[in-house]
Amino acid sequence: MSALYNFFRSVRLAVVLILIIAGLSILSTLIPQGKDTAFYFHTYGAFLAQVILKLRFNDFFRSLLFLIPAGLFFINLSVCAVDRLVNRERRKARRRHGPDLVHIGLLLLVIGAMFSVFGRREGLVYMGEGDEIRLPGEYTVRLLDYQYEEYENGRPKDWISTVEVSRNGELLIASFPIEVNKPLKIGGINVYQTSFAREDRATLRDAQGTSAPISSGEGFKWEGAVVIFQGVEGNIAVFEKWENHSRTEAYQVGIGDKIGEYTVEELGSRDVTGLKAVKDPGFIPVVIALILVAAGLTLTLIQKRKDKDI
Amino acid sequence: MIATIAFGLLILAAGIQIVYLLRRERKTDGFSHYIHLAAAALLLAVTIDRSIRIRFVAVTNTFESLVFFAAMIALVLFIYRLRAKDKTIPFITFGATIVAVALLALASSPIAPKDILPPIPALQSYWLALHVTLSFIGESFFVVAFVCSIYYLVSKDEEHKKNLDRLTYTTIAIGYPIFTAGALIFGAVWAQIAWGSYWSWDPKETWALITWLVYTAYLHTRFVKRFRGKVLAVLPIVGFVFTIFTFFGVNYLLAGLHSYA
Repeated sequence: MSALYNFFRSVRLAVVLILIIAGLSILSTLIPQGKDTAFYFHTYGAFLAQVILKLRFNDFFRSLLFLIPAGLFFINLSVCAVDRLVNRERRKARRRHGPDLVHIGLLLLVIGAMFSVFGRREGLVYMGEGDEIRLPGEYTVRLLDYQYEEYENGRPKDWISTVEVSRNGELLIASFPIEVNKPLKIGGINVYQTSFAREDRATLRDAQGTSAPISSGEGFKWEGAVVIFQGVEGNIAVFEKWENHSRTEAYQVGIGDKIGEYTVEELGSRDVTGLKAVKDPGFIPVVIALILVAAGLTLTLIQKRKDKDI
Repeated sequence: MIATIAFGLLILAAGIQIVYLLRRERKTDGFSHYIHLAAAALLLAVTIDRSIRIRFVAVTNTFESLVFFAAMIALVLFIYRLRAKDKTIPFITFGATIVAVALLALASSPIAPKDILPPIPALQSYWLALHVTLSFIGESFFVVAFVCSIYYLVSKDEEHKKNLDRLTYTTIAIGYPIFTAGALIFGAVWAQIAWGSYWSWDPKETWALITWLVYTAYLHTRFVKRFRGKVLAVLPIVGFVFTIFTFFGVNYLLAGLHSYA
């Protein structure tokens, strides 16, 4: 037991593990991450592709190749942090507290990151004016207005999605402008401005005479298959029929024509804003960890200056 | 124009330093550090002028970043020349001046467009300004450590080596917390506010982490007797090469979120 403790309290082990993690991370940046299997075979040939996929170099930061040295480093850092504190008490020696704070901060950072890995939820949605989304906690976010601003030379200046927020029918926020770098924070969820697009729309009337709009990418069921609205070309709506994950037929439908049990009533397009909702239980522990690391490094610097070490 | 004058001043400083280094007595010149100070002031004037024009801290493209980085190196060299008196200083100032000249040469090249453009939405954050400026201030200390380590590896004079080892350590000990705050802490906070994800394993993030790990390894290697000497001196060189790769190499060789930087 004491041999194991001595092994893990070693600074030499820390240096070796740090350099191993750095070296493997370099390799990971040279191999594109998260691509299709076919990409690796096409780019690297059969042998290398198999090595990459077996070792999970295509998903390096979730692979054992990274997690094992990172786990060992976590144990090493934990033992070193405890050892520093215990030894200082034992020897009653005057020691620097800065590194202790940094080490504890880094351990908390790893724990916070684990909360993020397992607890983080996010969803991207495209909304046009008047559209609503439901968020966990019975919150409803409705898009009131969407604006895109440009500089004189045509570069993007700002994207502003103005929303109202209500909960169980009660209006909580009458108007909030979500911008890049200015997310909406509501009930532990942040809503970010991430993208924008132009979306084609078709208004379809069913057999009962009810009309409803459909956006490109959306669809409906027809004879056991799914029909997806692809978009508008000129004055023609393009639909595709999909069965068992493969496209079986394409249709071009004009205004007044029928597709399945629906009649195309109107065609058009509209600007939509891309909003991303994120709930990350790891962020607060990570912020606390970063504050500890920053405080520890500052304290170390002050103590070193005081001791005339630097 | 002002940046070009600063570039000329740094070349002049390097010229004066090399003349003094080639003289038999290898005395430190008494005035080239004031040229550093003048160059730093001019480069910071460029940053301030562009900041007023774009109504934001002008560190949002490669040209502006290089100008700020070179200004910080010149300023750090001025301070070190005032404070440190040992015989290795003329070599170190000369080497670091060459690095600043090389960065400004890149700034004047076509890879760094000089158009004065206000920032795109993702860059309109004061967390970004802290992220970039503190990263470069930390890295300017790493430049001095890099030159010290090269000199350490070629020097045969034990006293010089001792001084160089000490100077490498002190510059990294100062640069490391500043770099950590800028590159990693404020970078993570900005990423969280801009994209909702404080860490994405984007290639530039990963390379910033790798660079940080190398300097972390350096600071801990000092406690391991077996690793002292040349092994220890190699790490600040590797660290600086990685710093430059994180700045340039990732932009041109690896794709990711930082493609505009």
